[in-house]
Amino acid sequence: MFLPCKIRVSGGFAVLAAWFVLANGWEPLATVLGAAAVHELGHWMVLRRLGAEITAVRLNVLGAAMETDRRRLSYGGELAAVLAGPTANFCAALALTILGKDRWFAAVGANLALCAFNLLPIRPLDGGRALYLLTSWMGGPAAGETAVRWIGTLSSAALAAGLGYVMWRTKGSLWLLPALLTGLRWGAAPWFSSAYP
Amino acid sequence: MTSRQAGRRLMNAQARRRSVQSVRSRTRKSEPLTAKDLRLMLRLVACGGIFVALVAAKLLLPAKMAGFNEKLSAAMERNMDVQAVFSAVGRAFSGEAGVVEEVYQAVFHPQEEAVPTGSVSPEAKMTTRTPKIQDGAALDRLRSFRTEPEASASEGSSVPQTQPASNLAYVLYSQENLPEGVSMEQALLGFDYCTPVEGTLSSDFGYREHPTEGEERFHYGVDLAADTGTEVRCFADGTVTAVGDSSSYGRYCVVAHEGGYSTLYAHCSRITASSGTAVNRGQKIAEVGETGMATGPHLHFELQREGTYLNPIYYVSSL
Repeated sequence: MFLPCKIRVSGGFAVLAAWFVLANGWEPLATVLGAAAVHELGHWMVLRRLGAEITAVRLNVLGAAMETDRRRLSYGGELAAVLAGPTANFCAALALTILGKDRWFAAVGANLALCAFNLLPIRPLDGGRALYLLTSWMGGPAAGETAVRWIGTLSSAALAAGLGYVMWRTKGSLWLLPALLTGLRWGAAPWFSSAYP
Repeated sequence: MTSRQAGRRLMNAQARRRSVQSVRSRTRKSEPLTAKDLRLMLRLVACGGIFVALVAAKLLLPAKMAGFNEKLSAAMERNMDVQAVFSAVGRAFSGEAGVVEEVYQAVFHPQEEAVPTGSVSPEAKMTTRTPKIQDGAALDRLRSFRTEPEASASEGSSVPQTQPASNLAYVLYSQENLPEGVSMEQALLGFDYCTPVEGTLSSDFGYREHPTEGEERFHYGVDLAADTGTEVRCFADGTVTAVGDSSSYGRYCVVAHEGGYSTLYAHCSRITASSGTAVNRGQKIAEVGETGMATGPHLHFELQREGTYLNPIYYVSSL
């Protein structure tokens, strides 16, 4: 089968997907993966248009990520590529609402949830990268780094607190735990690593 | 492959072997490990440590571990209804109101039924996998009914609303656990009523195999099959409290009657009454259809008293 690039599936993804299916069934997983595919397709289309090579797609604990050679991209170009994913989700939600009338509410919801989640200003997520690119563009990379560190840490703490609250209140939904831990790690990561490539 | 390429390959292989050897010799001489080796080592130690600790705990404190195990399994099984959350978000996006409670319901009370007065949450209902069972509540009620027949008969005239007039349903369902918020009693309504649709009874109140999902679910109303467009008449005098459109109920409306009773009319092709208006018994409020989760044109009719589902079969006649 022809694949435009390598697809790497991490062990964490396989385990979490299996857990998610056990907890919630196949239907939500299919809905979420469909929305994720739309999201990555958005990134991919803009990256291709900008002429960037996509080297691999990684599926890890919290969704998919594309590896690209983004050294040649301008701030504006990379910003467009980063925001293309959430935009694709939003457009898909809009299209499904208009075309589906009242049939595809779950898919609409999944697309919107993915769009909102990815716009959180925590760095490996699109929102964090967009924040970094914007502030770097306007105030230089140092300003971008500072903004991402503080806003990212605060948002990831809020995300972890929110997920923790849901688990505590439902006394379950433990499959959210890896998301909570990964969120905390993302918030902490910029303080220990050097500047973003 | 040219001989030069082959030579380069050999050289590379030798170099790799050398590097492996050098790592081995370094570890043997207990020289500092590389960061990657150290991380791997720490991971191995941590995993081994957790394993040993859990085995030790299981052996030393079997009772406590069994309790913990039970709690953990229960927590693993309790999950919010992701699909219902997505659906609610999707419906909110399409401009439907009153979805916030639905999200709340799907996240925090996915196993419980929504009370469809005002804010109907059919999504949460349709996706419920294991309805909460009220263990033996029906049996208890039956027992008290049987042991105190004189008392309830003497009080019957003063409180006619709660006095069960027939215990046939009790007997039919006594072996089966009823979901929460369902009563099999035949209440005396205390007002005049009429059959909403002249049709054939196609599905009864109670447990049944779900026509589209396939599994056994509780059916909270009766289905009266009739042609699309047949007029749906209001069960009794009252006020329309909700008119809506949902993926499972299709077009529906809810009418509140006196004494805390309310009725729901679902899968309609058209709702002709508007929310907030007063309606009379027998007045046309909707037309039969097959909107929402339906396999043919019919009226899904539910009767509630203060949030408790009652069997509407006692009050409707079918062809």
